[in-house]
Amino acid sequence: MSNPVTIIMIEDDEGHARLIERNIRRSGVNNEIIPFTSGTEALNYLFGKDGTGLDHKGGALLILLDLNLPDTSGIDILKRVKENQYLKTTPVVVLTTTDDSQEIKRCYELGCNVYITKPVNYESFANAIRQLGLFFSVIQVPPAAI
Amino acid sequence: MGCWGPFWQGGFVFMNRDLVTADAQRRRAMGQILLLAAALLVLVAISAASVVLVNEARKANASVVRTVEVENHLNALLLEIRRAESGARGYLLTSGPEFLRDHDSAVSNILPYLEKLERLTGDNAAQVEYLRKLRPAIETRLGQFAREMNFVKQGDPQSATAVVREAAAGDTSTIIRDVAQAMRAEEDRLFLARTVTADRTQQLASLVTVAGSGLVIALAGISIFLVRRSSRARDEAETQLRDSNLNLETTIDERTADLREANDEIQRFAYIVSHDLRSPLVNIMGFTSELEELRGDIFKRIAALSRVQSEAPPAPENATDTAEPVLEGPDKKLSEDFSEALSFIKSSIGKMDRLISAILNLTREGRREFEPVWIDTRELIDGIVATVAHQAAEAQAEIRIDALPNIVSDRLALEQIFSNLIDNALKYLKTGVPGEITVRGRTKLGFAIFEISDNGRGIDPKDHQRIFDLFRRAGTQDKPGQGIGLAHVRALVRRLGGTMSVASELHQGSTFTITLPINWPAGNRNIRT
Repeated sequence: MSNPVTIIMIEDDEGHARLIERNIRRSGVNNEIIPFTSGTEALNYLFGKDGTGLDHKGGALLILLDLNLPDTSGIDILKRVKENQYLKTTPVVVLTTTDDSQEIKRCYELGCNVYITKPVNYESFANAIRQLGLFFSVIQVPPAAI
Repeated sequence: MGCWGPFWQGGFVFMNRDLVTADAQRRRAMGQILLLAAALLVLVAISAASVVLVNEARKANASVVRTVEVENHLNALLLEIRRAESGARGYLLTSGPEFLRDHDSAVSNILPYLEKLERLTGDNAAQVEYLRKLRPAIETRLGQFAREMNFVKQGDPQSATAVVREAAAGDTSTIIRDVAQAMRAEEDRLFLARTVTADRTQQLASLVTVAGSGLVIALAGISIFLVRRSSRARDEAETQLRDSNLNLETTIDERTADLREANDEIQRFAYIVSHDLRSPLVNIMGFTSELEELRGDIFKRIAALSRVQSEAPPAPENATDTAEPVLEGPDKKLSEDFSEALSFIKSSIGKMDRLISAILNLTREGRREFEPVWIDTRELIDGIVATVAHQAAEAQAEIRIDALPNIVSDRLALEQIFSNLIDNALKYLKTGVPGEITVRGRTKLGFAIFEISDNGRGIDPKDHQRIFDLFRRAGTQDKPGQGIGLAHVRALVRRLGGTMSVASELHQGSTFTITLPINWPAGNRNIRT
């Protein structure tokens, strides 16, 4: 990838975060991963101090999002990202335990790009994350700017 | 139970009050019946008294009339005697035949009058006594008349005059006069007495009538009062009933709302809990797998180190990285223990995951809105049988479907119910015995009854309740399963407004009976928001 993509991982469970990171690395993806354990922190980072998201203009981001967060709902984060003029082109991968069809539908309606349910079976989990990693390595991410 | 307490207490008090009013009502009704009976009695008494008194009055009148008649006859008798006397005198003086005729007709009238008198006064001892005195006197007098006339006819006026003189001198006329006087006096007395009696009877009659009428009017008044009071009481009771019905309805609505809320709460709770349980499970599973990989690395190193220590020849170069390291003695035991521990952890996690998934599925089913549609039951079951054809062939089982009633219900729910039951029937057949599964159906009072029978291993009666509990199973545990199917089926049947039961003996096969409304109304139950 010519323009290094930063992966923003919003995941409150540190264990999950660690497992996800490990498996992404195993698939050969070496991009920078910035982990956040709460929605507020992640939003602060994404939208910057002025709350406009201007900080990331020109940068390439990819967001890995968990829906069940302690402080904010993942759905809210998704909505705000997709409504922001600088961030709306950023691919969002929802990676969560919820496999409720209503929830999945809602996420896609709000503009989520990929929805993945975390399988409890670790082999499936690792497999899913590795394939996601492979997907990351071929995906073209547009710069967050207009 | 606590929250039902006041409700039942209220019900009890209400019932008590009901009993009391029923008692009072019975008493009131009895009072009214007694009152009416009394009124009737009074009427009967008045009528009887009236009849008796009228009779009395008639009798008294008759007596009065008879008295008058007696007096008339007495007068007539006396008159005829006088006529006879004057006729006789006239004849004696003039010898005119018209006097004789007059005398004769008078004489001929005397005895009939006397006899009539005797007849009329036959019941009165005093009068009879008087008449006994009167009759000889009259007979004597008549005898004198006859002699007188004879003398006159024979042309012997002297003797006739003598007889007249004799008669005048005798006391016959006096006796007749006195007795007649006495009789008249007696009749007068009787007349007076009878008039008084008649008056009293009539007075009594009118008095009885007036009193009776007054009593009847009074009773009618009391009756009207009682009827009005009881109708007022009934109106009040009706109002009360309506009020309490309304209250009851409100209470039921409240309870239903409470229950629905509680149910929704439980569903939400189950949903959230199962979700949140899943998250740590992913970690446990993940890091267990990581540990497994670490274990491979660790024991490979141990193997390598022990080889170095024992200065054994190096392992063949063609050994791959993934091959199990060659371990010996205590190291091997250690490795095996490690693997065993890990495999237990992993199998438990697998089981827990399946349970959590089951709960999630159940709560999701509970939240699904049912949509009643017309269902060709036969076609639906044919479809299910087609999907299990392979299993059936493997178990050498034959599935027979009898005539089935069609119903209006939720198609997906019905599919799940029947496929679960047919699946179970196939799953728990007796090994080595060809299976026979029958699906039967009939209707009864607006309900369709379906029966799924098999000749399988059966269920011990003590487990009949248990098999419907979540995560509980019965019998030999040689088939995979979480113990969810029947719990799920029963929940679905209940939500569809039906019931289900099982009849079975160990080794005798089982029959599951499902009763569903033929026309399940949409939104009547389990309205979820």
